[in-house]
Amino acid sequence: MSPTSERPSVAIRIAALDALPEGEERQPAILAALEEAAPAVRERAIRLAARYVEPAVLGELVADDTNAARRNGAIAALERQGPYALPQLQSMLGLENLDVAMFALQVLARIGDPAPTAAILPLLRHPNLNVAQSAIEALGQLRSREAVPALLGLLRGELWLQLAAIDALGAIGDPRAVGPLVELVPDSVVAEPALESLQRLAAPESLEPLLACLVIVRERSLLDALLLAVGVVIDLHPDPAPAAARLRDELALGHGDALLPYLEQVLNGTAASGDLLRAAAALTVVAGLEALLPLVLHRIADPEGAPWAEALFRRHPDALRGSLDRLLGDADARIRRGALLAAGFGPDDLPTLVNLLGDPEAPVRAAACRALGSTGAEAVAPLLAERLRSGEPIERAAAVQGLALLPPAALGELEPCLAPGAAEEVTIRALEVLGLRPHAAFEARILELAGSRSTALRRAALRAVAQIGGSRADVTLVRALADRSRPVQLEALELLVRRGGERTAVTLSALLSAGDSLRYHVIRALGHLRAEGAAGKLRALYPECGPHERLEIVSALIRIAPRDLAEFLRARLEEPEAELRRIATGGLAELADPAQLPLLLTLAEDADWNVRNEAARGLGLLGLPACRPPLLTLVRDVEPVVARTARKALDALPSVAIPA
Amino acid sequence: MTRFQAAEWKLLTDLIQDRFGLTFDGVRCEILESRLEPRLRELHLGSLSDYYRFLRFHPEGDAELGRLTPLITNNETYFFREAHHFDILVRRIVPDLRSALRTRPLRILSAACSSGEEPYSIVIALQNGGLELAGVRWEIDACDLNPERVAQARRGLYDAGSLRACDGEARRRYFRESGGRFELRERYRTGVRFFEANLLAPNGSFGWGSYDAIFCRNMLIYFGEEAFDGVIGLFARSLAPGGYLLLGHSESLLDRATELLPVSFGTGVVYRKRLSD
Ligand SMILES: C[S@@+](CC[C@H](N)C(=O)[O-])C[C@H]1O[C@@H](n2cnc3c(N)ncnc32)[C@H](O)[C@@H]1O
Repeated sequence: MSPTSERPSVAIRIAALDALPEGEERQPAILAALEEAAPAVRERAIRLAARYVEPAVLGELVADDTNAARRNGAIAALERQGPYALPQLQSMLGLENLDVAMFALQVLARIGDPAPTAAILPLLRHPNLNVAQSAIEALGQLRSREAVPALLGLLRGELWLQLAAIDALGAIGDPRAVGPLVELVPDSVVAEPALESLQRLAAPESLEPLLACLVIVRERSLLDALLLAVGVVIDLHPDPAPAAARLRDELALGHGDALLPYLEQVLNGTAASGDLLRAAAALTVVAGLEALLPLVLHRIADPEGAPWAEALFRRHPDALRGSLDRLLGDADARIRRGALLAAGFGPDDLPTLVNLLGDPEAPVRAAACRALGSTGAEAVAPLLAERLRSGEPIERAAAVQGLALLPPAALGELEPCLAPGAAEEVTIRALEVLGLRPHAAFEARILELAGSRSTALRRAALRAVAQIGGSRADVTLVRALADRSRPVQLEALELLVRRGGERTAVTLSALLSAGDSLRYHVIRALGHLRAEGAAGKLRALYPECGPHERLEIVSALIRIAPRDLAEFLRARLEEPEAELRRIATGGLAELADPAQLPLLLTLAEDADWNVRNEAARGLGLLGLPACRPPLLTLVRDVEPVVARTARKALDALPSVAIPA
Repeated sequence: MTRFQAAEWKLLTDLIQDRFGLTFDGVRCEILESRLEPRLRELHLGSLSDYYRFLRFHPEGDAELGRLTPLITNNETYFFREAHHFDILVRRIVPDLRSALRTRPLRILSAACSSGEEPYSIVIALQNGGLELAGVRWEIDACDLNPERVAQARRGLYDAGSLRACDGEARRRYFRESGGRFELRERYRTGVRFFEANLLAPNGSFGWGSYDAIFCRNMLIYFGEEAFDGVIGLFARSLAPGGYLLLGHSESLLDRATELLPVSFGTGVVYRKRLSD
């Protein structure tokens, strides 16, 4: 038998670490486990070291370069300790052992707390390049604005420091960096990294110079980096059109003859990354590069659709104006469809749009339906209703969307679709229109349809009912809670909750006495309605019902927040079911009531990670100075989820200086 | 990032790991999220903690756990995946058993067989090795957690993707093509029995000390430590003395306490239970 097979299994070794009792033996056992070969055991040892080993001890392990495995474990544990380890890490910055200073900088960067910034700044000028570089990277990750002037000074220095400074400036995002970074493009060895940082900065003032570079650059990788930066800058620019128009004029003069073929290649390409494609599309649209517009429209017409491309035209509604007629008459159906989906239309466009309802291609006709609806012209209602009755499926769906955009008076056209003899599918479509918008039409007929034999019809009718005001609609929705189909019941419940209102709450409360399977959903609905009047009934029901309903009652009461909620939740903490204790702790946390502080402090030491997690959240919401010490313990919790929650809570507390 | 909170993710994924062994990290969490969204909508639940509570406490929770399995498993598989294993079976494992197999069938378990490509590949290998002609019979138990895949395995009807490692000749010999799909010929289905099973809760589905070989490939990579150990323990019990365990290429028992010992056959490492206790 080989020796490895005699060792306890990974799961058993982890369990043994977890079970280490408090006392002298715990620390050495944890530190020894940092050297384990099995990653899962090592990970557990790191968590435990973060929780139970003091930063000073870990700091010594980092300084010991004879044991690399333990050093790595100690570094990881210090990082997990987060704010708790800051004073120790800061003291390591001044040590003679430069490796230690470098590790400390890296850990500080990953912890991301800005408190030690002042201690890091002097290291930018450290004679050891590795330390200086780590300091630059750390200040970048800490997004330290104080470091910007010094970093700008490094832009012309040693190449590695230069690269680190460029990256840090991009991360910090201070506009003072824009000019100096632009100067590095296009003719320097660091042009590409500078462009990456400019992309992160996304400053409006960089648009003009970046576009100017686009015209002269020919090298593919640099073009890609430029285009990506331009794409992001355009996206965040309040008015990119004037700068883009100047680019178009340049191109018209015959400058930049490589740019159009390049953009064409990107827009056609399947190889191009999504970001590059979007950047090329944005530039095409904003600069109005007519020759390339069809390529962008192809993307929109794609059955997979490119919602970003549609959004692009919505932000620049005039981009298509000049070429719209030509595009709508294009021989390529994808271009016709794309133009219909992308452009904005008004009453003047009606003749063209109506013509396109006769297009040979159904996807084009469908797009025309939507466009007609967007004009808001009542006169198009009969045409859309006709498509709804006899179009292909894609046209019918688009006609629903189009009709829903028209003024209320136009909805009269739906009458034949709702009439008793109409095909069920057509009636359902008509009801869909009425379910998308408030209206007062066909009330009697819709209420009647809500009692149909077909489940699909009843569901569609209920959605239309929910858009009608008044008590008859209420009654119909309430009655549907007893529908024979469960999905219809749940639909009705959801519609009622969305309608809201005191009367709904009263009706639903009354249903609590029926002990059927709908009650679980009714309890949840009352919570969503924040039905104060139901609180008493819910509490009275609590002792009588099963565990799944009890949990929902506690959740619902937390949403409703009746006056004596705290007392009710405290009682739940005494119950044996862990899930109840978790929810109750969450509820107590959300009260953010200083009176609950002592209880939260106890819960912060609970054996259940979930209870500790909610306690951490609660301490953060309280935001009192007294919350800091327990959070500094929770931030080192063995359960990373808890540690993260505590970290967020700590970040929200007013900061305190680190003692030097 | 995900719209759900870290704590509710942990609750749900811990539950899944506890019941099915499967673990979820960052990327797999995103996939899981997109698969769960529609389910949450259907149940009218808004958050993962709602769903977690439903699974654990609602009277329909157990049924919902069953529904969950197709959403959480990766069922990727194809014919002759890691083909050297089938070679090892026919050329190394079976010859040693020749005398025993005169009086009893060869017994194989294909654990986590997904849609059946693996156990059927075993039959094809056995047929091609001439075992049927030599009078050897076999019984192949093939199980999976995902009921949809087990049903598909029983049908034996495959898309081209499942045949990606088959050349034209293999396609013609083993399958009947119709309408772009491939139906496995009857002859290559001999002796396979499919059933649904959760390897973490086997409930006596597998005999004690009965299998000559167990194939369990590309499932344990998705497993957490405890579940991994548990399943290996199950296999160790279910193997006959001297029986073999074949794992996927990124799965290994090195650095684990187990009575199964590595054996190298040149083309790969497999694990073997000692001949006698
Ligand atoms: C990637 S497939 C492997 C298929 C085949 N063995 C191969 O190597 O190609 C993994 C399979 O493991 C199954 N599985 C996951 N957890 C399981 C469990 N607890 N019990 C049984 N099967 C499980 C999944 O349903 C899935 O079909």
